[in-house]
Amino acid sequence: MLKIIIPTIMLFPVIWYSNNTMIWINMTSYSLMINLMTLPLLNQAGNNSNNFSLTFFSDSLSSPLLMLTVWLLPLMIMASQHHLMKESLTRKKLYLSMLISLQMFLIMTFSATELILFYILFEATLIPTLIIITRWGNQTERLNAGLYFLFYTLIGSLPLLVALIYVQISLGSLNYLVMNFWFQDTSSPWSSNLLWLACIMAFMVKMPLYGLHLWLPKAHVEAPIAGSMVLAAVLLKLGGYGMLRLTIILNPMTKIMAYPFIMLCLWGMIMTSSICLRQTDLKSLIAYSSVSHMALVIVAILMQTPWSFMGATALMIAHGLTSSMLFCLANSNYERIHSRTMLLARGLQAFLPLMATWWLLASLTNLALPPFINLIGELFVIMASFSWSNITIAMTGLNMLITALYSLYMLTMTQRGKFTYHIHNIKPSYTRENTLMSMHMLPLIMLTFNPKIIMGLTY
Amino acid sequence: MKLPILTIVMTTIFTGTMLTMISSHWLLIWIGLEINMLSIIPILTKNQKPRSTEAATKYFLTQATASMLLMFTIVFNAMHSGQWTTTNIDPNNMIVSLTMIIALTMKLGMTPFHFWVPEVTQGVSLMTGMLLLTWQKLAPISIMMQMFTSINSIILLLIALMSVLVGGWGGLNQTQLRKILAYSSIAHMGWMMAILTFCPSLTMLNLLIYLMLTIIMFTMLNMNTNTTTLTLSNLWNKSPTITMMILISLLSLGGLPPLTGFLPKWVIIQELTKNNNIAMATVMAIMALLNLYFYMRLIYSTSLTLFPTPNNIKMKWQFQPKKRSLFLSPLIILSTLTLPLSPVFSTLN
Repeated sequence: MLKIIIPTIMLFPVIWYSNNTMIWINMTSYSLMINLMTLPLLNQAGNNSNNFSLTFFSDSLSSPLLMLTVWLLPLMIMASQHHLMKESLTRKKLYLSMLISLQMFLIMTFSATELILFYILFEATLIPTLIIITRWGNQTERLNAGLYFLFYTLIGSLPLLVALIYVQISLGSLNYLVMNFWFQDTSSPWSSNLLWLACIMAFMVKMPLYGLHLWLPKAHVEAPIAGSMVLAAVLLKLGGYGMLRLTIILNPMTKIMAYPFIMLCLWGMIMTSSICLRQTDLKSLIAYSSVSHMALVIVAILMQTPWSFMGATALMIAHGLTSSMLFCLANSNYERIHSRTMLLARGLQAFLPLMATWWLLASLTNLALPPFINLIGELFVIMASFSWSNITIAMTGLNMLITALYSLYMLTMTQRGKFTYHIHNIKPSYTRENTLMSMHMLPLIMLTFNPKIIMGLTY
Repeated sequence: MKLPILTIVMTTIFTGTMLTMISSHWLLIWIGLEINMLSIIPILTKNQKPRSTEAATKYFLTQATASMLLMFTIVFNAMHSGQWTTTNIDPNNMIVSLTMIIALTMKLGMTPFHFWVPEVTQGVSLMTGMLLLTWQKLAPISIMMQMFTSINSIILLLIALMSVLVGGWGGLNQTQLRKILAYSSIAHMGWMMAILTFCPSLTMLNLLIYLMLTIIMFTMLNMNTNTTTLTLSNLWNKSPTITMMILISLLSLGGLPPLTGFLPKWVIIQELTKNNNIAMATVMAIMALLNLYFYMRLIYSTSLTLFPTPNNIKMKWQFQPKKRSLFLSPLIILSTLTLPLSPVFSTLN
């Protein structure tokens, strides 16, 4: 694992010693090389895990997420080039340093065996993200967004710290490889329920669950493009990953404790999708669609069947790529008209046809069109929830319908129809932007041919 | 103040604390505390303003009351147990244990005897405030660490919890930086005392890290004599590096991983959980978030936003700074980046 971590840490000197003309080139090319080194991790044995040391391991659950994280860094760097053009050199280097430190923490989080190490790095990802949102965001609301983001996550995760320490004291070790063999005693219902809640709430806030999702629209909307991309694609999946890891020790209680959360998720799915139908702000629409997709993932993880785990993992990877691509598309709009309102830039297909192709593909994957992996994820989750209880099909089916509605709404609003008169002077698409979109889309399409690698633990 | 006088006074302060720390006879401990208190009064009134005089008076009255209570407890203990050592206080003697805790927590500035801390810290200059919040804590904590087996843990835990609450909520409405650091001191004292009856070496660890962070904060604030949040918001113009250091130090003081300030909170929560005190650990951890909120407000106004300044240039031209900042760089590194070295701190005992 050090072969990935140490090059990522070494990206710091690469930035600080490059001169002005070379920083973007150096950063992007070296992070693409790190991608190349991470690819062999995807070769996972079925039930087992690759244990690199006592501290780091990679599993069939963590390797797709790890791959997503390292794939996203060059994309984030490419996407940030435009809005950082006018900043001074030191500030550019600081921004990139924040991105790299975030990347380093994320890589270590996804490969940690010891759960306390996972916790420390999980919290450590908050600081660079906070700095990116509040320092480089564009509107006044970014301060409030940063506070909401920090405090929602911290209030959820401090009980997790206490719970993990309690588990370590009663079990003896929090090393994930050891915990597979733990026998859970459910002595007193109150304390085991509190333990379950303490462990799960941190990840529920991170996912986010519908009632605790207030930080997400604020943070996603106010963050600059790299911040939005990493938030939507990876940081939300930290919640799902944590829940998937902890379900092993939480086992008998989940059957009872999961009910209120499943209900909140099913209802929240429909609510947030419906909010998307009435949004005027493009980034806010994509943020609420993230909440809706993640609610499906929460339902899948709480139901704990093999198919639902497969669907959860596939949906996490698919949503990561799709949501990040949508944010990049929204950012390409924002860079041209400096506004996030959808209404102000319509009929773009006449002006930027290639970008319209990417918009079409992103919207189609967002609404879970076959044969993309988004559909595979959602289908597995919906089938598992149907077998868990027949009535859920009403909610999940309605959600799929409303998802299709708002995705097509977003597509037709921005691309089709008559153009507005004031956008006659927008610049044509840069090659950088087209590369960005294709690098999002190509993994999505290629994974359609072999979704086995993103199916996770129970394939 | 003339240098010879300052030297004598500083040496006396040092002697007082040292006398307390090395003695095992209660009378000498009390004498050391008194020497310390009396010799810090001229330091508090160094700049001759009415505010400083008021601060010195409040400090004197509170500390003298605490010393008198301590003397009462010492004599009472001598009367009932017949000996004057610190390690043999009878924990069943309720009067002794109660008044001992009251006296020592009054010296430290913990709730419900915390009212003097913000006002005294605000009334004196930045460096004197640093002396007050760092050096003055050493003597009472050393006494408490010597007698930790005979302290009534219920009362101490209650006082600690209240200190964490008051330190969190009290600092929320402040803009004066010295008061913010005073409330931060109250909250950190709460964390330190919570673990005293279970594992005193963790009190030492928390004290060490807190001392480093407070010294850094005061030194950085002293560089441009920033005493309010408003003046702090102009710091980006003069020295952007200091704004970054303030960001990291305040985040470490708030206890965010992966900075070193997280380490005391982590091990204290671990020890409390080992002793089945899970509710206390959770409540204290969540209340520490209040502290983090007002640190975040400071961080917002210093490093993460660019406030409008009186000048229009990117960086203000200024003379060479004359204020010395001793040990700032190693202290910053020690107090923010050494979480991976946490097993080293187990050598503290």
